[in-house]
This record gives sequence, structure tokens and C-alpha cells, in this order.
Amino acid sequence: MAEITKYVKWETIDSIGILTLNNPPENYLEEPEFIPVTLLQTLIEKNLIKGMVIHGIGRHFSGGADLASLFEMTKERKTLLSRMDKGNELLHFIENLNVPVIAAVRGCCFGAGLEIALACHIRVCDAKSLFAFPESNQGLIPGLGGIVKLARQTSNMETMQFVLQGDLINAMEALTCGIVDHIIQDEDPMEYAVKLLHKMTDDRSMKVIHYVMQALRNSRTLSFDDAVREETKMFCELAVEEAERRFNNEE
Amino acid sequence: MIKQMLKYRTISYEQIDQIGHLVLDQPPSNKMTVEFFAELGEAIDLISGDKGLKALVISGKGRHFSAGADLDGLLSIVKEESQQSAEGGHVSVNSFLAHNNKTFLSIGNLEIPVIAAIRGACLGSGMELALFSHFRFCGEDAIFALPESTYNLIPGIGGTAQAVKILGTGKAMELVLRGNTFSAEDALTLKLVDRILPRRHVVDMSIDFARKIPDSYRKEKVMLYIDRIFG
Repeated sequence: MAEITKYVKWETIDSIGILTLNNPPENYLEEPEFIPVTLLQTLIEKNLIKGMVIHGIGRHFSGGADLASLFEMTKERKTLLSRMDKGNELLHFIENLNVPVIAAVRGCCFGAGLEIALACHIRVCDAKSLFAFPESNQGLIPGLGGIVKLARQTSNMETMQFVLQGDLINAMEALTCGIVDHIIQDEDPMEYAVKLLHKMTDDRSMKVIHYVMQALRNSRTLSFDDAVREETKMFCELAVEEAERRFNNEE
Repeated sequence: MIKQMLKYRTISYEQIDQIGHLVLDQPPSNKMTVEFFAELGEAIDLISGDKGLKALVISGKGRHFSAGADLDGLLSIVKEESQQSAEGGHVSVNSFLAHNNKTFLSIGNLEIPVIAAIRGACLGSGMELALFSHFRFCGEDAIFALPESTYNLIPGIGGTAQAVKILGTGKAMELVLRGNTFSAEDALTLKLVDRILPRRHVVDMSIDFARKIPDSYRKEKVMLYIDRIFG
């Protein structure tokens, strides 16, 4: 496992990229852009990954932003906004990757940590995990798109309660309201996530994976009817190739 | 009282007291062939024009709902068309699949309730058809999957987009990329089916359910009807 920045480790095992938040014990984030987006892009392209897991080293996923360094940034208002924008860009990049990304959560997943998890496509956690947007307790709100993404996962009402109360919820509650997709018993969520990615990507061509990801993105960005039509276009392209393969094999 | 009955080769349709019952009728697997899709399109056109109809129930004849598209038949027409369009100098979206899209979207957009009564296998485009229905009831023995990605394909008739609507992005991603089969219980946990019914009575109970939906039906409120009617 290579330390690629002071706070992030990277490892590629069998076409799966594993990004580890590495600022123990709480894995606080010193910067909204917790890994330079260009660096992440290089890692993904160079290693030809078919899927990615994001997790935290040790007991916790991430306790969120390091408030001391955040307030340090506020001394210059422009600095804060531009750094936050970079964080947004990074999360946007992760969310729009054309391979599946899973957040494997243990322990605390708070604030900006939860925003990272919500930028992933699937979230798995162990039974003892805790989730919160505690920003409103400090006179703040989630700053990296967390409210928007949460509202997409759950209802507006649940999002409002969760963000304004700023209370912790446990894994079971997170599952019920749709924040996480699986609670993992008797196994490290990270290992489970890697296995799940293998089940989703082994023996699948890169093109099939990319097209499924594209179809899923379309369902968010296009009208429903257009998303369906685009899906069929991609199917046709794959079907033509598959027909060629079968036809050639017969000859 | 049977009011109207239409016989096609691959499907059958009968209407009893304003409830339409469309049966996929190529047992045992009710494979969706090229002919099937043509006939389904015709039937859905007729059904959407029938102002007297109160509800539509879709089921499969025999043990299974449908094992999905006839892949060999489909790939051979894809092949033909791609050769033709290569010769014609332009590549068009396969008109056959565009036609199927239209049919499934029409089913989703019907103003009357559409209920998929699922027994046995419900795979690939069979599952896509179920996903476009407004209600899904299944027997204990039902088996589901969108296995396309394991054949180097993706669902071709809007299954991914419709799965996102029902399940959200993460779960839809798993379903489509894994392509694994899962049981009626799993489908219920995922909220992919609305109720599990005794296998022998899935069709009867679905028709009975259809009768009880009020005329003021709105598909945004499917859960409400399920709670009220099943109690």
C-alpha cells in the first residue's frame, strides 16, 4: 500500500483500486480536496481499474473536516470558497466515474466524511457504524453537496431532520432511511466491498461496465424517455459486437 | 363474463368485466421472440385505446412468467440490420428495439393500473416488462435476474432506467452489473416486488386486486392501494 499523499494511501489489487483515508485515529480531512483530482485520475487510468473502494484506516471512516484548518481558511474568504470548489470537483469526479465506487464504512462517518461516502455509488457499513451531519451544531451546514445528495437518497423530510438536528444515527437507521445499502455482519466492510466489486465486474468487458454506468448517469441527467432510448442505443452497439463474435465463431 | 378475447400466436388476451388479462403464451419459458414483441406492441396499442378498460393484468402461461428475450433470434436480426445499414451507409438505432421501447414505455404510461402477476422465472426482458408494470406480485417460487451483463450486453428495453426509479442508483447498479438471480424474498426486501402471494393464486389474486382499485387510480399512489386492498 503506497502513501501517495500525506493523508491518502492507494493500492490496486486485481483491477480494484483501494483508496484509504489515512489520518488516524479519526481520519479528519485537512483539505476538502482530500486527494488532488488529477492524481486520482492518473491512478485510475494508469491502473485500468474496474472498480474502487474508499475506506478509512483504523476504526473510523472519517470524522469529517478538520475544523481548525477550516477556520484557518476562512481568514481569506476567497481561499475558502476556492478550496471548497476543489472539494466539490473531486466529489463530482468520483460520482461520475465510469466504474462502480463503494464506500466501505466502519465507525464514524461524519460531515465531509459522509459527503465523500454519499459521492460513492454504493455504501456498505458494519453494524457499529455511526452517521451524522453535525455541521448545524457549529452554526454551519454541509458544504460539499451533502444535503442535495442525501435528499436524493431519502426524503426531503428525513434530510431536513437529519441535517438540522445534527444527531448521530446508527447503521440500522441509516439502512432504513436509505443512506447505506448493506450492513455487513462478521466481515470487514472493506473486504465485502472488494468481493462485491469482483462480482459486479469480473468477466465483464470494460465497455459493458462503462455503458451500465453511463445508463445509470443518464437516468439522473436525462428525461426518463430519453434515458431509456439511450440505453437501447448502447444495447444495440453491444449486440452488434456480440452478434459479430458469435457469427465469427460459427465460421 | 368474457367480453372480448383476442388470440395471437405468442400471447393471448381476454377481457372479463373490464379487467384485461394478457398472457405470455409460449410455454414453458415464454421466451420473448421477435414475433412476440410485434404482437405485444399490437395488443398494447389496442389496450391503450380501450376506454372501457379498468385494469390490465400480465402473467405467463404455465410455470414461468418469462425467461426473457430469445437472444439468438435477436442477435441474428441485429446482425442483419447492421449489415444492411453498413451497406446503406448509415447506422440507425435498431428499429426493432425502438419499437419494443415504445411498447414498454406505453405500458408504464397507461392510465389504468398494470399488474405483473409473476410465477417462476422472471428474467432479462421478462423482468424489464415486470419493472414497467405498476404493481408486481409474485409467487414464493419466483426467480428474478437481469443477467444481460454476463452475456456482454446490458438490458435493452429501459430496464436500467426503470430499476433506478424503483431501487435508486446503488441497488440498480448492483442488480444490472452483478446479473445474479435472486428469490421472491430478496425481491420483496429490495421492494422490487410489492407482495408475495401463494403461487397457485398469484393470477387470481392479482385479477381480484385489479377489480378493487378505485376508478380514480393514480400510479403515484400504488403503495396506498396495496395497503388498503390487502389490509
